[in-house]
Amino acid sequence: MKVYISWIVLFLILSAGSAPGLCLAARPMGAPVDALSPQPALPARTSDIPAPSPKKPDSAIQDEYNDDRNLDYDDELFKEERITIADPIEPFNRAMHQFNDKLYFWALKPVAQGYKVVVPEPARISVKNFFSNLAFPGRFLNCVLQTDFAGAATELGRFTINTVWGIGGLMDPAAGKALDLQKQDADLGQTLGVYGVGHGFYIVWPVYGPSSPRDSVTIVGDQFLYPPSYIYPWYINRGVWAYEKINHASLRIGDYEALIGAAIDPYVSIRDAYIQYRMKEVKARQARSVLFKNTGEDQTAKGLSPSEK
Amino acid sequence: MQKRATVFFGLLIIFILSVPVYARAPMTVVETTVNRVLDVLRDPSLKSPAAKETKTEKLRVIYKDMFDEMEFSRRTLTRNWNKFTPAQRKEFVDLFERVMEKTYIDKILDYSSEKIVFYKETMVSENQAEIQSKIITSSKEIPIFYRMILKDGKWKVYDVVVENVSLVQNYRTQFNEILAGNTPEQLLEILRKKVKAH
Repeated sequence: MKVYISWIVLFLILSAGSAPGLCLAARPMGAPVDALSPQPALPARTSDIPAPSPKKPDSAIQDEYNDDRNLDYDDELFKEERITIADPIEPFNRAMHQFNDKLYFWALKPVAQGYKVVVPEPARISVKNFFSNLAFPGRFLNCVLQTDFAGAATELGRFTINTVWGIGGLMDPAAGKALDLQKQDADLGQTLGVYGVGHGFYIVWPVYGPSSPRDSVTIVGDQFLYPPSYIYPWYINRGVWAYEKINHASLRIGDYEALIGAAIDPYVSIRDAYIQYRMKEVKARQARSVLFKNTGEDQTAKGLSPSEK
Repeated sequence: MQKRATVFFGLLIIFILSVPVYARAPMTVVETTVNRVLDVLRDPSLKSPAAKETKTEKLRVIYKDMFDEMEFSRRTLTRNWNKFTPAQRKEFVDLFERVMEKTYIDKILDYSSEKIVFYKETMVSENQAEIQSKIITSSKEIPIFYRMILKDGKWKVYDVVVENVSLVQNYRTQFNEILAGNTPEQLLEILRKKVKAH
């Protein structure tokens, strides 16, 4: 007897459970039904119930271009609050953007291209690793300041391993599969961000590029923690600095061009990319921080819709 | 009796687990599509520079199949969408697609055996998902996330996040700024010029 009851239960569960599935699976057959409802961003839940609106037998293609009822496409699900930045000194910034653009295309790129021809890629990667290894104090201290102790330990481990076994930092064995100690890109502007300091407004510095008052602290502050900035005669100091930039650029030729090429208004595109990039970096650092981990989680909980939890 | 119960629960679990499998997992969709792209790029019969147009044509078909340009366009225009007439909307979607093609086709055709790894699928809701992948080159790793939406039982990409920068959001900021001081017609003119340029 019990067996029969269990079979009935099984049947009920199956029929209940597969109903939405069957419903959706059958959808593509009656494709126009879905194609007609102009609510692309609404979850499928709503489209489970066929829209009660009277449908004219118009072509579905025309309907696709209908007015949009759902005006806020802010991807709440991806916790994408609208990020914008004040730009009160836009004329200055645009001028600096032009200047940097020309600096890249007229000076940095040709030099980097020539350098690229002469020096093979593995050597250039080693040079990059070497400078990156020297920047260890800044990353380490900022990890500590952000209370990301795991990150600080990772950095310390990387520095030791790469200096000793990586021939003074020329190679990066620590990031290999066996050890998997990845570089922690922590800087001072980020640290301030982790503690809740906002950007302020947008600045484009000549040579340094996109920044904000908060992130400008990085340019100054991290210099103190970067050994090559203590090289004495200023011209050698600047020479080393320029060399590092050229080497770096030689590994990324094409990236800036792609960014500019894809943009309708390159200045706005770069500004937005910079803000998005920095915000997500700060969030990622916050998630690692012992002190601020919970603030991040709270936001996550709020960001999720009730049905998600 | 106990054996029967085991069989019953076994069957029950199998059936319950198999119910939601009516659309392929979004990660599989992206992975298959990317592999199709790679197949075209690696095709030895298309190696000659003369075959560039054939390649582009093949990629265009794959792109149309996997990219939801309507969702993409609407999301970049948001509120401004309603300021466009239906004819302008149609032109906008077309032009935008051509701008994208123009910008990225050379980068894609430039592909030379970099490794692409798909490592994470996050379902943010029942019809939206994010697939995380990265391109590994000799000097760097580029994280690329695909945001997907399920429509008509098919997963399609509507946003690509490259190095933490969302394409939709980036264009949204630009269009917002442009449309704050210009009419939709003027924006279309800018796009037309961009398509013609180079």
